Amino acid sequence: MKKIIMGENIVKSFGEGDEKRNVLDGVSVEINEGEFVSVMGPSGSGKSTLMFSLCGMDGIDSGKVTFSGRDLSVLKEQELADIRRTKMGFVFQQPTLLKNLNILDNIILPSMRDNRKNAAKITKKARALMKKVGIAELEKRDITQVSGGQLQRAGICRALMSNPKIIFGDEPTGALNSKYAQEIMDILSEINAEGTAVMLVTHDAKVAARTERIMFMRDGKIVSEMRLPKFNGTHIDDRMIKVMAKMREMGI
Amino acid sequence: MYYRIIRNDILKSKAITLTTTIFVAAAAMLVSLAAILVVNLSGSIDTLMKRAETPHFMQMHSGVIDIKRLTAFAEQNGHVDEFQVLEFLNVDGVQIVFGEGSLGDNVQDNGFSIQSEKFDYLLDLDGNVINVSDGELYVPICYMKDNTARVGDKGVICGKEFTVAGFLRDSQMNSTLSSSKRFLVSKNDYAEIRNLGSTEYLIEFRLKDLSALVAFETAYISAGLEANGPTITYPLFRLLNAISDGMMIAVILLVSVLVAAIAFMCIRFTLLAKIEDDYREIGVMKAIGLRVSDVKKIYLAKYAAIAVAGSILGFALSFVFRGMLLENIRLYMGESENSSFAMFFGIAGILLVLLAIIAYVWVVLRRFRKLSAAEAIRFGTSQEKSVGARSFCLSRNRLFDTNSFLGVKDVLARKSLYATMLVVLVISAFIIIVPQNLSNTISSKSFITYMGIGNCDMRIDIQQTDNISRKAAEISKTMRSDSAITKYAVLTTKTFKATKSDGSEQSIKTELGDHSIFPVEYSEGRAPAAENEIALSVMNADELGKTVGEGITLVIEGKERNLTVCGIYSDITNGGKTAKAVFSDNSAGIMWCVISAELADESLVSGKVSEYADRFDFAKVSGIDEYINQTFGSTISSVGKASRAAIIVALIITVLVTLLFMNMLVAKDRYSIAVMKAFGFTNLDIRLQYVSRSVFVLIIGIVLGTLLANTLGEVLAGTVISSFGASSFKFQVNPFSAYLISPLMMAGSVLIATIIGTSGAGKIKIYENIKE
Ligand SMILES: Nc1ncnc2c1ncn2[C@@H]1O[C@H](COP(=O)(O)OP(=O)(O)OP(=O)(O)O)[C@@H](O)[C@H]1O
Ligand SMILES: [Mg+2]
Repeated sequence: MKKIIMGENIVKSFGEGDEKRNVLDGVSVEINEGEFVSVMGPSGSGKSTLMFSLCGMDGIDSGKVTFSGRDLSVLKEQELADIRRTKMGFVFQQPTLLKNLNILDNIILPSMRDNRKNAAKITKKARALMKKVGIAELEKRDITQVSGGQLQRAGICRALMSNPKIIFGDEPTGALNSKYAQEIMDILSEINAEGTAVMLVTHDAKVAARTERIMFMRDGKIVSEMRLPKFNGTHIDDRMIKVMAKMREMGI
Repeated sequence: MYYRIIRNDILKSKAITLTTTIFVAAAAMLVSLAAILVVNLSGSIDTLMKRAETPHFMQMHSGVIDIKRLTAFAEQNGHVDEFQVLEFLNVDGVQIVFGEGSLGDNVQDNGFSIQSEKFDYLLDLDGNVINVSDGELYVPICYMKDNTARVGDKGVICGKEFTVAGFLRDSQMNSTLSSSKRFLVSKNDYAEIRNLGSTEYLIEFRLKDLSALVAFETAYISAGLEANGPTITYPLFRLLNAISDGMMIAVILLVSVLVAAIAFMCIRFTLLAKIEDDYREIGVMKAIGLRVSDVKKIYLAKYAAIAVAGSILGFALSFVFRGMLLENIRLYMGESENSSFAMFFGIAGILLVLLAIIAYVWVVLRRFRKLSAAEAIRFGTSQEKSVGARSFCLSRNRLFDTNSFLGVKDVLARKSLYATMLVVLVISAFIIIVPQNLSNTISSKSFITYMGIGNCDMRIDIQQTDNISRKAAEISKTMRSDSAITKYAVLTTKTFKATKSDGSEQSIKTELGDHSIFPVEYSEGRAPAAENEIALSVMNADELGKTVGEGITLVIEGKERNLTVCGIYSDITNGGKTAKAVFSDNSAGIMWCVISAELADESLVSGKVSEYADRFDFAKVSGIDEYINQTFGSTISSVGKASRAAIIVALIITVLVTLLFMNMLVAKDRYSIAVMKAFGFTNLDIRLQYVSRSVFVLIIGIVLGTLLANTLGEVLAGTVISSFGASSFKFQVNPFSAYLISPLMMAGSVLIATIIGTSGAGKIKIYENIKE
């Protein structure tokens, strides 16, 4: 299996002097191409920090992160931005859309940065994605005029615009009710089935149960890992029971 | 708790609080300076004119004089307090030599007088009446300013040697705008040089009561007394003394209004930004029934504190600068007696600024009332969406690149916030362009057409001599055969009696000749073309109560003739009371004659001037640039100085405000910046977005500012100019500096400020700001 992201012995701290403590305390992670993984752990255990470190949005104190074989620590700010824009997709807990722009414009924004000449093609692709996630009729709306679930889907469309190799999701369903959450997970599963790797941070056993590998974090370390067969739409309840048992074992 | 909120608020926005304070201080300083200057100027002029006992009415006269008849008139007229006739010995500038140079190319009528005995004294620099000894020479103060002479220098007048004993203030002729300058010598010395020049008489009256001036003037004219020369009255002397510094004060006032406006903009900007930030909190307070008016009060208190601090600082600063600005007034006019008064007015001006600011804050804070609690809690932002912005979509954008699009879009979406920056830029453009255009206009050659003088290259004055018409004919004959002269006009001035509507008479100095060759600006109507037409200067039209199209009766060759007023123009020459006509007249004596000429090539001017000066030694020949320079020189240079200062001030304002504005925007926009960075926009992209925001606002600002400068600014400048006596006014724009250099300077300042102001964007951490 080809590795898309490799984190080796990542250490990251916040604070100065006495206040200083390691939020990531020697974490090593590997994610293969097309893999669907999730990270669980108590609040404050460092899940988000890990994710931001792996995608190069935040620097690390020591250790090494490689993306498709490139060492992120030696890359310039611009090169990191280029990688994020063209090779990665992000979905956050809060829909991080810009207030000034309507839904469609928010979705095409990163792609338009490089390829303004292909505006027509980009817009066409965005419309297709919006149709796929069921928000086709909302393109002209302001972001204050749609529901949270719809916003989250718009966020996914934006993440998919560049045909990324991996999608990072920091509690993408955290702010949604379970019906919306299931719909989002269906979309993510579908994307994963088409070959895109997905890494999710979540508190929700039902979400984690859809992934094929679950990492458990505590105090800045990955303390345990659990593998499941690739999800094929069946046995979700069995999978959930397994995950919840493990969570209890871990004391989450 | 509220107090803490405000204190944190000030601490968080130290830079903008400081800047606001500085602008308030600057506005307060300028207003108080203007007030202090006005009071000092008028006080100094009063003191000077009181000590010198300036005549209330003065008639200059050249030719035969009948002192007995004048004395009889003075004794018999009930208004007259004192009367005297002074001699003024006109000497050609070439005959006045200091060191190496003579006053040969000086356009002033330089002449000599002795100290008068009754009134109209010439004063020394301490304001005392000068007592001059034999061999001593006192020189007009303007020659001290331009370093023509120094105390102790040798001065050679018509071959006789003098020592410069000091400088004198002349309450009549101090101003560069008055065309004569008096040197003071002793009685004995005067007697010696008396035959070396032509004598002119100053027939002077002091009245018992100045309010009787108009009645007295009429009486003098109807008595048919000596009147071969300009008449100047007390109010006009005041005006002449006030103009140069008055212009400077006007510019300071204008700038102070604009700086105050910028202080207002800073306040508005911080307040709006604050309200936007606190939108949710204020909404929640409203929703749970807390009193928003308390918050309002605290904000009001905050700005009151800023305003008071700024005002005190401004007042202190005005002490630093007043000395510098008062220098010229002190030099020309001496100390003012009512300087404590000045202080009072200075403080009053500052209080005015203070009150205006507090009132303004109060008005802006009324927005709190409109804030909807429900909206605030649900969305955390105000829902006012601008119409234009919505249809401006990225998906349909083909014009801008994506970063520029985002910049423009943001400006459109948050119009009221950017309006603040826009107003500042408009004001800056205005401050840069208006004084510059004004300065360019009054230093341009054609400006004299507003002053009653045609636009020509060379000007020859023939006066205080006899046989003027023969001499003028001689010159015009030479000019006709001179191929270097493309056109010329001979204008002779004669006095005619006009009958006013109330039956009283007034004499009008009328320039006869072809007025179409070197036309002046007519504020109404046009130049006289037919025999029965006459154009009046503004002052004459006012005095006679005539407007264009009305009739006026003049006594010409002993017969009454009805003329129609065909135009009104501004004039500052000869006391501002003149007329222009084309009819022919062979009876009345010629007072003076002016020949204007245009040369084929401007480079010939100096050569021609000396050629004609040599050839016709009875005439005063001057190049028009020189003429303008010496007449308006000090005004032009002080306006020029003011306009350069204005440019610097405006650029500093632009840089400061843009810097702060961008700084605050970046702080406010942390979240959007973090989101864009997360999705792969580089720091450079973000900066480009901010640059396009400022460039967009800048372009609108420059366009609006320029338009405003050429409309409102022109009107404003026209008002200033009209204090000269000019009434219709058009800017003379130097397009290169006004439309290219100035915008470029502004663009440069804005760009630099934006780039520095947005440097914080690079430091924004994605992770910390995206969490919300
Ligand atoms: N900028 C920061 N400065 C200081 N400490 C920070 C900063 N960001 C995060 N931390 C600390 O690092 C620790 C890990 O934070 P992180 O956001 O990764 O937790 P998490 O596992 O994602 O928690 P949650 O499930 O609540 O999202 C927390 O204790 C947090 O307080
Ligand atoms: Mg987290």
